Amino acid sequence: MARHGGPGSGASLSARVASGARWLFLTAYLVAVVFPMCWVFYTSAKTTQQIYKSPFGLPKVVTSPSRANAEPLVRNYRKAWTGSHFGQYFVNSLIVVSVSLVGVVLLGSMAAYVLARFEFRGRNVAYSLFLCGLLIPMQLVLIPLFFQFSDMGEGLTRLLGPPARALGLGNLTISLHDSHAGLILIYIAFSLAFTVFTLTSFFRTLPGELREAAMIDGAGEYRIFFSVMMPLGKPGIVTIAIFNFLGLWNEYLFGLVFLSSDKLKTLPLGLASISMQAQYKSDFGLLFAALVISMAPTILVYIILQEKLTRGITVGALKG
Amino acid sequence: MKNRGQNVFIATFLGPPLLLYAVFVLLPAVNAFRYSLTRWDGLGPATWVGLANFRAIVASGSEFLPAIGHNLFLTFVPGVGILSLALFFAYSIHQRIRGGRLYRVAFFFPNVISGVAVALLWVLIYSTSDVGLLNGLLKLMGHKQPIPFTESGRLLWAIVPMSIWSATGFFMVLFLAAMENIPETYYEAAKLDGASSAVQFRTITLPLMWDVLTTGIVFLVVGGLKFFDAVYVMENGRPSGSTHTMSTLMYSKVFQEYNVGYGTAISVMLFLLVLAATAASLRLMRRERLEY
Repeated sequence: MARHGGPGSGASLSARVASGARWLFLTAYLVAVVFPMCWVFYTSAKTTQQIYKSPFGLPKVVTSPSRANAEPLVRNYRKAWTGSHFGQYFVNSLIVVSVSLVGVVLLGSMAAYVLARFEFRGRNVAYSLFLCGLLIPMQLVLIPLFFQFSDMGEGLTRLLGPPARALGLGNLTISLHDSHAGLILIYIAFSLAFTVFTLTSFFRTLPGELREAAMIDGAGEYRIFFSVMMPLGKPGIVTIAIFNFLGLWNEYLFGLVFLSSDKLKTLPLGLASISMQAQYKSDFGLLFAALVISMAPTILVYIILQEKLTRGITVGALKG
Repeated sequence: MKNRGQNVFIATFLGPPLLLYAVFVLLPAVNAFRYSLTRWDGLGPATWVGLANFRAIVASGSEFLPAIGHNLFLTFVPGVGILSLALFFAYSIHQRIRGGRLYRVAFFFPNVISGVAVALLWVLIYSTSDVGLLNGLLKLMGHKQPIPFTESGRLLWAIVPMSIWSATGFFMVLFLAAMENIPETYYEAAKLDGASSAVQFRTITLPLMWDVLTTGIVFLVVGGLKFFDAVYVMENGRPSGSTHTMSTLMYSKVFQEYNVGYGTAISVMLFLLVLAATAASLRLMRRERLEY
């Protein structure tokens, strides 16, 4: 691999000073990025009194591990998980995000595949409509959506009520306000623009011969999509799924507007509400534990899938 | 026969996503324009007021103009830091410095944390109590009184390092990708001519990654125009006139003051600004595009 201007290529004194200064700066920034996160993790193992007494010191459970010294850690997390309902918020986030993710990946790749691979009237219109969505900020749809939701719920009830009764499912009432179903529909719809846009360009790059070969073997369009194209498209689909996962897991504003009951809240909503309420402001043990519970899943996903994620940014940037 | 089967396939695959998208994104987006021309409390009948809401938000003394100012502050002040740091880090890693992979992986980290969690983390870092990391550091350096970094008057400045901390990694990865895509031969030729690392950066790297740099600026500006989470959380859900951004002002007008038309007019302005910023950057990108 050819190098240009790195340390060692020209070992003059000024070059060495410059590269030393650069190393120092990068390392300082590394500490500034990583230390606050480590601080949150280890402070969540201290009692509020211990935090006050020595705010930056390591917790006892790290310095001298024992069952007794693990007590504050257990207490903080129990308080956050059950006392402040973070267990419930966690499950809510898991439900909302996983259902949305399945929905957006499935619907997004269906639309993208058709737009990328078939010639038909209205294709460009449909594609442009999805492109428009890239420019629409959520703030623009938020308010009308909020006030239309009750009408939409009634409409859906009227539409789906009779068939549900006919199928013996009893009386069906659909309310989109303050429900996971409503938030999931919004999340799917709102993530579609970006997903369709990215996956369309991805499906265009896949070889067309495979589809023809599958057709000769007698596979129908549906079979081809689910057993040939979806598996082939896996790298693109995985990347888009990671992006949507991070975006939806961290989403706050839609949740804030559309969910009001505490038992339905997702993690960002729960975290925001304890950090804004005066009674929790100095309960540091709880705040740090809640912060860890909220951050851990995305950090874990990043650690495991970091190559795929950064490669996704790469591909997206160079194509878009 | 075959053609009809294909049409049915296209309709079943494109129909549901398009319908969902139209009902939950396009329809409300169009309705926003209608709402913005009314006066409405969200319950009773709405009154048609024409452009009165828009006249009110741009009138002198309105809260909207300072809010735009705050958005621009939160875009450009951290933006300069984010872009220069991201370029510097990307260029350093691109030059295969030791530990480059570690820097790349670590610097991106804050980007995966939610805006709310980042805000709470920085509330704790800035805390005036003994927990506060920064005030603790200042105390070690001999500073007596803790500084209330997150009070309304200082909050926007306090958000600057936070934004840099959380966003730089993303732009670094973006720029690094663009740099890796530049053919090595250009650098070799420049080196034969005796060009220094800084000259190579200015004459080769920067012009050849112009597209991606512009894309980055679009992301940055659009993100800055939509800014919501940190201001809302750090102001305990009640931002003041000196901290409101367009989004927090919109939220409080609609959901706290029940002034739906006025709030929607703000969201329409926000949309137009996003549109204008994107269009301007795309123009800039086309004009300066270099083929290689």
